[in-house]
Formats: sequence, structure tokens, C-alpha cells
Amino acid sequence: MKAFTGKLVDLTQKNADTIARQWAKDVKTNVKTYSYHNTSEEEIMHQAKYFYKNFQLMFFNESPYEQAREIFEKYAEERYQEGIPLHEALYALILMRRHMWLYAEFQSMFSAEVQHQQAVGSLSRTILMFDYIIYVVARKFWEMMKLEGLTTKNKQ
Amino acid sequence: MQAYAAKLIDLIESKAENIAKQWADDVMKHNRTPSYHRLPKEMVVEQGTAFYKLFRRMALAANPYEEAKSFSWKYAEELYRKKIPLQEAIYALMLMRRNLWLYAEFQGTFVTVLEKTQAVESLNRTILLFDYVSHQVVEKYQDLIIGSVERRIGAIKTLMMKGPIGTKKNIYKFGMMAIFLLIACILTYHNHATLKSEGLFTHLFYIPIILASIWWGKRGIIISIFLSILILTSHLLFLRGMNISADVIRAGMFIMIGSVIGWLMEGIKKVEEMYQ
Repeated sequence: MKAFTGKLVDLTQKNADTIARQWAKDVKTNVKTYSYHNTSEEEIMHQAKYFYKNFQLMFFNESPYEQAREIFEKYAEERYQEGIPLHEALYALILMRRHMWLYAEFQSMFSAEVQHQQAVGSLSRTILMFDYIIYVVARKFWEMMKLEGLTTKNKQ
Repeated sequence: MQAYAAKLIDLIESKAENIAKQWADDVMKHNRTPSYHRLPKEMVVEQGTAFYKLFRRMALAANPYEEAKSFSWKYAEELYRKKIPLQEAIYALMLMRRNLWLYAEFQGTFVTVLEKTQAVESLNRTILLFDYVSHQVVEKYQDLIIGSVERRIGAIKTLMMKGPIGTKKNIYKFGMMAIFLLIACILTYHNHATLKSEGLFTHLFYIPIILASIWWGKRGIIISIFLSILILTSHLLFLRGMNISADVIRAGMFIMIGSVIGWLMEGIKKVEEMYQ
């Protein structure tokens, strides 16, 4: 089962540059990720590469949630420092997932009927990983907003 | 409506309440949604049912993203009012999606190879719905937070009369402050030189002191210093025989009040900037 579900992640890892570029183009023009529009494509691509590289580590980890905390709290901190609103940061993540899937579909990775079984497995696992990531990122943002509020209060 | 998703949509609609109950049991004891543990179960089930019924409406809608708002905004507003942290509200949505899928699997909805093909499409459809809803919920939460901050500091903002230097509002501020200071000078002279009394008039000085600190933050302390120097100099000039200690205390209080309000205002400005 692991071999089947890993197919999507392996494909993503091997083609990280191409998928990252497609994602960067999308995020730079999508109306729901307005804050990314003025950032350079290289800078945005760097985010996606970081993401896809670490996503694989998380995907095959026995404690993916713990791994998500380790990796994606840093990701959340960076987006927060850049002033990206949370709903845009999360939507950018959603687009990352969509581009992984679009690329796999484009490559006809799950075209045969029997491969649909694998596709369901791959999708389910990928979604679970993204659920963890989104939760971790949202929680970190929330904490940082509270922390900043507290720092402001203390300075008073 | 696409044929592939129809099967799942029919199942969701006919069993919305069952799936919602299953979800409620899950979310009300899940360790990533602790704030849900104290919510009334009826309310939680109602939320779940509303989400599952949205599925068909979205499938039929010309603009599914807009249709999703009918659920997302209400969901966000309700949870925000109940003080549920954002990450928990999002995780609860994830559990809604997961329970929906678990229910479909449990009912053996997608067994044959052909049905597996439908399953992939249905999964994609579910994910898209969730993507829309989660994005709208996060956005709404942020709007609600900003709205709440705006309301709380609304009265102060009115007093702040914000505007860039050189604009009408700023000219009014400087004009009003000049009038206040002129009145302060006249009152001080009248009381000290004519009436030879320290009087209670100095209490009126708190008006320009407070306004200056609200308008200009820490820089507003200049007004407190000016008024302190004014009453001490006037005392030394016109009330030579009288004890100066009361006026020294008054001058100290002016500076202290001006400083405290100035610091508070700097903090409020930062909070405002943060939520903008």
C-alpha cells in the first residue's frame, strides 16, 4: 500500500521544479492570493521547493503530525513575518496540493482503472498530510498574533 | 450535476443528520478540537447537517464559491461568538469532510472498479468544497477579529482625528491645541496675578494634556511639560510668598498623566496596525 500511495509523492519530488513553477505562476495571478502578486517568482518558487521537499519527509514519517509541527511551524513563521494574511497563506497551500494532483493527472499517472484504487489511497494520504499542515500553520499564526498582542501590551 | 458525484451527493443528502451526529461525536472529544467539548451537541449537529446539505446546493449552483458563503460565513460567525480558536474551527471542518468520506466507505458506496473511478472524482469534489469553505471561514474570522478591534478602539479613534500632516484634521488639532494653551495661559495669569490664588483651574489643563497624548502619542508629553513650566513659572513670578509644593505636585501629575496616556496610545496604534 505504501508503494502505491507514495507514487504521487515520488512524482512530485522528481518534478518539484516544474510543479513549483506552475504553482508560482498560479499563486502570482490568483485573486485569492493577492499578497503574493508583487513577490518575485524565484522567491515564491523557493517556498514551494521547501514545501515539496519536506512534504516527502512528512509523508513517509511514522508520526506525520509531529513532523508537520517541526517543519511547517517555521513555514508559518516566515509567512507571518512577510505579512501574508492567514487566509492567503492557507490558500497558497491548497494550491500547492492542487498542483501536485494536476501534474499527476497531466502525466496520466492514474489513468488505468486499476490505478484508481491507488489514486484513492494517494489522495487520502495526501489530504491527511495537508490537514495536519493547515492545522499547524493556522495554530502558529494564531499563536503569533496573540504573542504580538501580548508584546504590545507589555511594552505599554 | 455531474453523474460521478451524484451518488455521493445523494448519500450525503439522505443521511446528512446521521453523518453530522457521527461528526459531532468525533469533534466533541477530539484532542485537536478541545473548545468543542463544551458546546451543546444540538448546535454541533446542526452545524454538521448544514455543511452536508450545502454539498448539493454547491453542485447545482452556477457559482459554487459564492454558494459556499451561505454556510461559511454563518459557521465562522457562530464559532467566533463561541470563542472557538480558528485552528479548531478549521480542524472541525476537516473532520466533517473525513466523516463524510468514512460514512461513504462504511456504506460500501464505492466498491467496484468503476465505482473507484467515481470515488476519485467525488473525492476531488469534496476537497474543492472544503477548500472554498475553509478559505472563506479563515477570511471571515480575520474580518471578525478586525471588526472587534475596530469597535473596541472606535471611540478612541474618533478622538484621535487621524490624518496625515498638512490635512484638514491635523490643522484642526494644532488649532484646537493652540486655543487650549492660550486659555491655559490666560487662566493662569488671571488666577495667579489677579486673584492671587492657586485655585482649581489647573484641573482643566488635563483636557489638552489628554488630547495631546491621544493625538501625538509619546510626543504629546511636550504639552504636559509646557503646562508644568507655565504654572511653576507663574507661581514663582506672582505667588512669591506662597508655598510652591502644591503646584510642584500638580506639574508632576501633568507629566505623569501625559506620559501614561502617550504610552497607552502607542500600544493602541500598534494593535491597530497589526490588525490592518
